Amino acid sequence: MRAPTGQISRLGTLKTLLQRFAFLSLIGITFALMLIGKADTILVERARDAVSDAVTPVLRLMSSPATVVADFVNNLRELAAIREENAELREANGRLLQWQSVAQRLESENKSLRDLTALVPEPSATFVTARVVADTGGAFAQSILITAGQSAGVRKGQVVMTGEGLVGRVMQAGLYSSRVLLITDINSRIPVLVGEAGNRAILAGDNGMRPRLLFLGNKTAAAPGDKVVTSGDAEAFPPGLPIGQVASVEEGAVEVEPFVVRDKIQSVRVVDYGLTGILAQQAPPAK
Amino acid sequence: MQATVLQRMDNTARRLVPFGVTLVLMLFAMTPTYIPGLSHITPMYALMAVYFWSIYRPDLLGYGSTFAIGVLEDLLSGTPLGSGALILLLCQRVVFHQQKFFNNKPFGIIWLAFALVAFGAGLLRWICVGLVAPSGFTPIGQMGTSYLMSVALYPLVGWFLAKAHMKLLSQN
Repeated sequence: MRAPTGQISRLGTLKTLLQRFAFLSLIGITFALMLIGKADTILVERARDAVSDAVTPVLRLMSSPATVVADFVNNLRELAAIREENAELREANGRLLQWQSVAQRLESENKSLRDLTALVPEPSATFVTARVVADTGGAFAQSILITAGQSAGVRKGQVVMTGEGLVGRVMQAGLYSSRVLLITDINSRIPVLVGEAGNRAILAGDNGMRPRLLFLGNKTAAAPGDKVVTSGDAEAFPPGLPIGQVASVEEGAVEVEPFVVRDKIQSVRVVDYGLTGILAQQAPPAK
Repeated sequence: MQATVLQRMDNTARRLVPFGVTLVLMLFAMTPTYIPGLSHITPMYALMAVYFWSIYRPDLLGYGSTFAIGVLEDLLSGTPLGSGALILLLCQRVVFHQQKFFNNKPFGIIWLAFALVAFGAGLLRWICVGLVAPSGFTPIGQMGTSYLMSVALYPLVGWFLAKAHMKLLSQN
């Protein structure tokens, strides 16, 4: 097995040459990949779907210790504040009971009015709940991976929410996992209504914590504390989904603080509002 | 005969440690930490691991493995395909090229050199992504924060990697 010294040095040179060749060809491949990614998005999307489907079980396993720790910390925090919270809840309960009676009255009124006008009801929304297993937030993309895919009925373009408000939209749906584009991502553009006056604007992410309002008619149309909800324009989102509230209005920039606290999202709901219609669901995803 | 098979399996497993650890760190970067304010910034964990192994075990983490990790990271995190792999490969190339410089240097120097390498890597990636991604250039401030986090965390991650390395050596 032992080779003479000359052979070893020759082998060494060969190895160095091979290494250099490998390096150069791999660099070439990375550039080729970048070009392919720019030209053929479907191929790359399929590859992404396949990889996220395969890795999701591993990520799920890896994320469970963090979930346990987060739950524990939350429990401690809740225990500390339990007394105050109880008082607040009692108060809220009283208020909500009042609202309940109002709602019941309005519902019956609504029903009688619907009967009167013979309104065709809108299709009701269905939803799938999924766990968040990866948060790939970085300087370049803001998205999360969730544990539900096409096999659970998730389709590209569906709306993702938590109890607090809008999280984002399904950007890719694999078989068992999906990627959700967050409202803070630089590619995210959502038609919204601002404040009680309902001024129209576009909510645009910039990969930072707070997305901004673009194309707002005039800057005085928004004030800190104004609620921002989806407008339903372009039919990508149903109208009225809560997003956040205006946090600051400065020259040239209106920032919105989302209702959904990013660090606390453990599970989300993927809601199908049937915006693409029932037939489109069976057809392959658009684009 | 049985012992040799076992030994061989053991050896193979050992040789896979740098790749495995780098892979796990890359995936770890993606798992939600639930730490307030941190989910918007991800330090460049994969870069730290590639840098570390390229210095201490260049024989066990080759260009192929680095490329695979970079491509996997791009596919999973939704960044333009190839951009992550490119900077990992270049980082490895720089370290391999300067092997003599890194030999037996104290930790401070290694850390400082990491700060330099990571700066170049971060800047290059920002340019690559800006040129390739349809959304164009992202605010550079976020890249800067991610870079500073990476430099700040390097001693901790390096310590963890050194432990793994020791374990690998001690039983060799």
